[in-house]
Amino acid sequence: MSDATTLAAPPRPRAFRAATEESPAVRRGLILIAVAGLAILVFAPLIVVFAEALAKGAVAAVKSLQSKDALSAIRLTLLIAAISVPLNAVFGIAAAWFITKFDFRGKAFLITLIDLPFSVSPVVAGLCIVFMFGANSLAGGWLVAQGFPIVFALPGIVLATVFVTFPFVARELIPVMIEQGRAEEEAALTLGASGWRVFRTVTLPNIRWALLYGVLLCNARAMGEFGAVAVVSGKIRGQTATMPITIEMQYNEYLSVAAFSLAAVLTLLALVTLLLKTILEIRHADEIAATRRH
Amino acid sequence: MVRPLLNRSPMPGLGLSMGITVAMLSLVVLLPIGALLWQGASFGLSGMWGVINRERVWKALLLSFRLSFYAALFNLVFGVLLAWVLARYRFPGRRLLDAAVDLPFALPTAVAGIALTALYAPNGFFGAIFKDYGIRIAYTEWGIFIALVFVGLPFVARTVQPVVEELETEVEEASATLGASRLYTLYRVILPALLPAALTGFALSLARAVGEYGSVIFIAGNKPLATEIAPLLIVIQLEEFNYDGAASIGIAMLVISFAMLLVINLIQVWSRRRIGNV
Amino acid sequence: MHIEIDEISKQFGSTAALTPVSLNLPSGALVALLGPSGSGKTTLLRILGGLEYPTSGRILFDGQDATGLTVQQRRAGFVFQSYALFRHMTVFENIAYGLRARPRATRPPKAEIARRVQKLLELIQLPQIGARYPNQLSGGQRQRVALARALAIEPRMLLLDEPFGALDAKVRKELRQGLRDIHDETGLTTVFVAHDQEEAMELADLVVVMSMGRIEQIGKPADIRARPASDFVRNFITA
Ligand SMILES: Nc1ncnc2c1ncn2[C@@H]1O[C@H](COP(=O)(O)OP(=O)(O)OP(=O)(O)O)[C@@H](O)[C@H]1O
Ligand SMILES: [Mg+2]
Repeated sequence: MSDATTLAAPPRPRAFRAATEESPAVRRGLILIAVAGLAILVFAPLIVVFAEALAKGAVAAVKSLQSKDALSAIRLTLLIAAISVPLNAVFGIAAAWFITKFDFRGKAFLITLIDLPFSVSPVVAGLCIVFMFGANSLAGGWLVAQGFPIVFALPGIVLATVFVTFPFVARELIPVMIEQGRAEEEAALTLGASGWRVFRTVTLPNIRWALLYGVLLCNARAMGEFGAVAVVSGKIRGQTATMPITIEMQYNEYLSVAAFSLAAVLTLLALVTLLLKTILEIRHADEIAATRRH
Repeated sequence: MVRPLLNRSPMPGLGLSMGITVAMLSLVVLLPIGALLWQGASFGLSGMWGVINRERVWKALLLSFRLSFYAALFNLVFGVLLAWVLARYRFPGRRLLDAAVDLPFALPTAVAGIALTALYAPNGFFGAIFKDYGIRIAYTEWGIFIALVFVGLPFVARTVQPVVEELETEVEEASATLGASRLYTLYRVILPALLPAALTGFALSLARAVGEYGSVIFIAGNKPLATEIAPLLIVIQLEEFNYDGAASIGIAMLVISFAMLLVINLIQVWSRRRIGNV
Repeated sequence: MHIEIDEISKQFGSTAALTPVSLNLPSGALVALLGPSGSGKTTLLRILGGLEYPTSGRILFDGQDATGLTVQQRRAGFVFQSYALFRHMTVFENIAYGLRARPRATRPPKAEIARRVQKLLELIQLPQIGARYPNQLSGGQRQRVALARALAIEPRMLLLDEPFGALDAKVRKELRQGLRDIHDETGLTTVFVAHDQEEAMELADLVVVMSMGRIEQIGKPADIRARPASDFVRNFITA
């Protein structure tokens, strides 16, 4: 290896910089701004949640979570997510199938309608449900008479939750299914597979990660929805008070540890969601829609 | 010949998928929105105008819109910067920052609301610092601004980031070989390519902020004529059983949402025509 | 199987992909659909396979009206232009798919499925690749797997959309002979779309020259060469 020195490439000029790079100083500056901005805007609130929850020690925090109100709120929130997330997944799959497997007029308009809940204020969403199903409305009055109230009860909260999370799953699936095209499904059909079988054995395996991704985002939003639920729930303690609503009530009663402990539970959920989301993005980037907007 | 409403196709599941889509869309979204409009219609246009045309309502709508605009503007600049840093630079902790950008999507708004309030209240960590300089953040417009920046943070970054990733570095190199400085390349080549996505993100961020409720009400102080946002007025009307009043303000906000949705779609049509495809 | 196409037309919105075309394909023939891009070859093939509904007209299989048959009922072995292999399944699972999709009563037992798949793998001369995934195959291997998958369902006819389109010249030559052999061995009525006139002329018993949704000429390769029916055909086959 004695000739290695003579064959060595000429030293790279120290000042060399690719034409598509900024100078190191500029890079460092931009990274610093990004880190500082996110530290102030995102990390600081995150830390505060746990700091306030633990302000009087871990025992107090855990104890407040075992109160009757907190437990019933947790149960209610889990129940609502367990109903509304599957509803949303079914809708998302059906809508994505309809939109990507068939050609019809007004497709763009339909997609706009599905996106509509993104740009409607959650409070207005709740208001709409109140006018549709409230005791003063036609449908609501009849349902109340049948002993099946919607507003100020579980069904109303579910409806409001489905409204605000409406586009989540469909939005994830549509771009993926457009990209994958129809050829594999057509091939399965020519091989004699029934429609249901085509979906189960060909489509579903190709969209499962995108579906999981959409369900994850949908679930996080469903458990945390506040504005729409505040309007339709009536905030009845122990009955229609979800976790976010209970946080508000406890906060307004100056039960800081209790409010922040419950908030910490929801924050942990958000962190787990982000963790799973990051894992999905690293491992299954190709199967998840590239352009995202929520 | 007119295009048929639906091309017949041997793909299975037409009836089922169309049925579920149309039924759920109608039941959950369209009929309830219709019910709100119906309530407004039976109240009458002049009645609705009477509700909206009061100082308290105007102030609230303007406040919501003005602060949302500022917050979206802040997010436009910071979001493009974030997208650039996350897509182009490799540094330790990049993944963590990347995930952190999404936190405002995942964190419930009520949690964000009480956390920001705790931080920026006069006895909070940041609040105390500002207090020394005689500035109050929580319970003023500044507090609302910060909450709105928080909820709108991911939109611009997330719409712009994929565009940065797909930018062909060859175009930048071409610009450099033609003698352009990095700065010149930035504003003549790079920024124009990011503009449509950035504007889309801006509009989404704005739309989200105008309707935001959960994260704002804790930090806003909710003083009538000063720090009262429009969605809160709806809640107040409802608590007073003033359904017509709630419907009037709700419809006003719905109109604003529709207008913004229209703008978003126009931006996308415009950019598609300009750049080919988004 | 004898295939008869009777006044089939297809309209996509305002474009007429097929103005009424009629065609008689004798049982066991190897037929090439030849024509420039956009002439309606794929559309005609997809209508035969049941993947597209004609705007008007009828299709007869052995004299029986088959227009209303669903894709599944047609039992057409279809090879797609980009093969459309199921990318999340192994080669073995791809080929077995059609047999496993049969209703329980007619589904062969597991061992029988394995045996048939292995036989097909040998037919396409790739006996070792059953455990691989499509993205671990070369273009030529993918094409042969797609053919084996189509053959597995014991099809009544074989339909191939530009089966050699995505391959380089040398592989094309080999596979061309492979298709001829398989056709001769199975005796299936086979229709394939060709872009390349040399390919069509060399391989097919019968060539159908199409242009702008119409059939310009039908005939044996030698007849078309000797007596082109129109200037278009003359230009196209000498191009
Ligand atoms: N799904 C569709 N929607 C609208 N138009 C279509 C559709 N499929 C085909 N067409 C049109 O029908 C005509 C015939 O198309 P076809 O795909 O049959 O051509 P082809 O002969 O196979 O061409 P190529 O050699 O390029 O594959 C073309 O003008 C095409 O644009
Ligand atoms: Mg074709």
